Amino acid sequence: MSHAIEVRGLRKTYQVRERREGFGGAVRDLFRAPKSELVAVDDLSFAIAPGERVAFVGPNGAGKSTTIKILSGILHPSAGDAAVLGLCPWRDAREIAFRIGTVFGQRSQLWIHLPAADSFDLLARIYEIDPATYQRRRGEFVEAFGLGPLLKQPVRQLSLGQRMRCELVASLLHAPEILFLDEPTIGLDVTAKAVIRDLIREQSRREGRTLLFTSHDTGDMESVCDRVIVIHRGRILLDRPVAELRRSYIGRKRITLHSVAESVDLKLPGVEVIERRPHCTEVDVDLKQSSVERVVQEVLRLTRINDLAIEDPPMDQIVQAIYADAESTPAPEALAP
Amino acid sequence: MTTAVLHLGFRPAKYLAVARTALRQALAERAAIVGRMAFFFVILLIFSQLWYVVGEMGALGELGATEFLWYLALTEWVMLSLTPVHLDIEADVRSGEIAYRLSRPISYLGGRLAEAAGDCALRAVTLGIWGFAMAYLLAGSLPKDPSGLLLALPLGVLALGLGLLSMAAIGVTAFWLQDCSPVYLVWQKAAFILGGLMLPLEIYPDWLRQVADWTPFSAFMYGVGRMSFGFDPVLAGEVALRLVGWSLLTTLLLVWMYRRALRGLEVNGG
Repeated sequence: MSHAIEVRGLRKTYQVRERREGFGGAVRDLFRAPKSELVAVDDLSFAIAPGERVAFVGPNGAGKSTTIKILSGILHPSAGDAAVLGLCPWRDAREIAFRIGTVFGQRSQLWIHLPAADSFDLLARIYEIDPATYQRRRGEFVEAFGLGPLLKQPVRQLSLGQRMRCELVASLLHAPEILFLDEPTIGLDVTAKAVIRDLIREQSRREGRTLLFTSHDTGDMESVCDRVIVIHRGRILLDRPVAELRRSYIGRKRITLHSVAESVDLKLPGVEVIERRPHCTEVDVDLKQSSVERVVQEVLRLTRINDLAIEDPPMDQIVQAIYADAESTPAPEALAP
Repeated sequence: MTTAVLHLGFRPAKYLAVARTALRQALAERAAIVGRMAFFFVILLIFSQLWYVVGEMGALGELGATEFLWYLALTEWVMLSLTPVHLDIEADVRSGEIAYRLSRPISYLGGRLAEAAGDCALRAVTLGIWGFAMAYLLAGSLPKDPSGLLLALPLGVLALGLGLLSMAAIGVTAFWLQDCSPVYLVWQKAAFILGGLMLPLEIYPDWLRQVADWTPFSAFMYGVGRMSFGFDPVLAGEVALRLVGWSLLTTLLLVWMYRRALRGLEVNGG
């Protein structure tokens, strides 16, 4: 088995009922509602190596969750083929169920009125983990995830961040080779997000686990993943290493200047002031129109500077730009790595 | 939908563990238990007053108001002990939670039924003890031949099994309808009328009683409640056979529906 996940020409369509406008339309729909085909996933192909951590990024309705549901054996594709750990997900769902884990940020596998420990015990039964292995792994996770004081509290009394730590442990107890994470940080505050990201990354590294991670939060992608697949309207727009995405996809930089002068008035093509405070100016630079060197030279011509920071733009902007390109291109070609 | 999900190796220990966990969860929901007990008491209180007034008018025939009250206690015990598993299945389908549950190495339907059985076990025990105490308090005595109540216990357990299977089948209709409440309301009203929830079938017109006997409902409710009228092991055996038979038929229907539902599954929520 050379790939943990391999997908070839995957396509999933749904039949959806269309609703006509107005009262008359609603009455007619009672008898015969016109149907149309919705393409959720369209000719998707990619491969993920064992131990790779891949972000699966896309706007709502892009086809991320549908792909995960196909790969975890829940949905049949309309066309195409896929192999998960060398098995066909929809034909070998039973075997795959023991070897994969899923974390859905908006769902819970914990029993809310019971302490998380009770849910762990039940999952050990469901996943047929032998008692000694279960006790050892549970002990390790309780320590690594800092769950000691939380184990005896009913889940409903836990904060969202604490609950998500318990959800992660619940998904890892049976040592899955692949973990599918569907927006696991949704709704969490900044601190809780950072904790969850660290735990996911560290557990994946330690046990060589493959991750397929969907999120709207590009911070998740940067913190946890090595590679990003951007999907839009069911098709892959871009598939490349996270680090390379910054460098190659967008030619922009963000420069923060701490100047001796109270304000710096830069008049260069492609330079836009993002924020201006006394002695501090933040600008966005389109590198196609002005180089960083030219901007710095111009600043030094105008004033002395106390400090200077040159940064890539936030990942959010990069992904938004990728979507914007897709919106303006009716049938986008995947940007291969 | 993958057929592999349907053919998970059956390991009773998994389902027992699910039922035990559901029982523990139900024990943690004390307010719900108290609410059901209060409702049971109100029903018995209202009907005890009604039956005694009607009984004094001689409208209850050979059977007394005490027997009617014990009959109602038994039929309500069955009805109130049923866990609304159809609502859980409907919620899973509508929210897309079903996708999450299908990816586990346990049958979705078996797991849901095991949860319902665990919850139902607690309801049956608490409401059984409570219903017995309240019926005794309100009637002022046991039925004329209280030994029939002993036969009602195993019949009640069989009836609860049939009830849970029926409600699961109703829940599975949510795969097509999204909202299974219309189906449930029809089933519930049919159970009330054809099962004789409030009144034993003895006082029904012959034609309606014959109709009721062709349905599962007469065994499901009347069959259990009838035991308050006296110790009749032959009748109890007949009721038990009918309950087992209807349970088998309902299981076949449920499995057939579930397989068809999974084949056409389009999970909500993208």
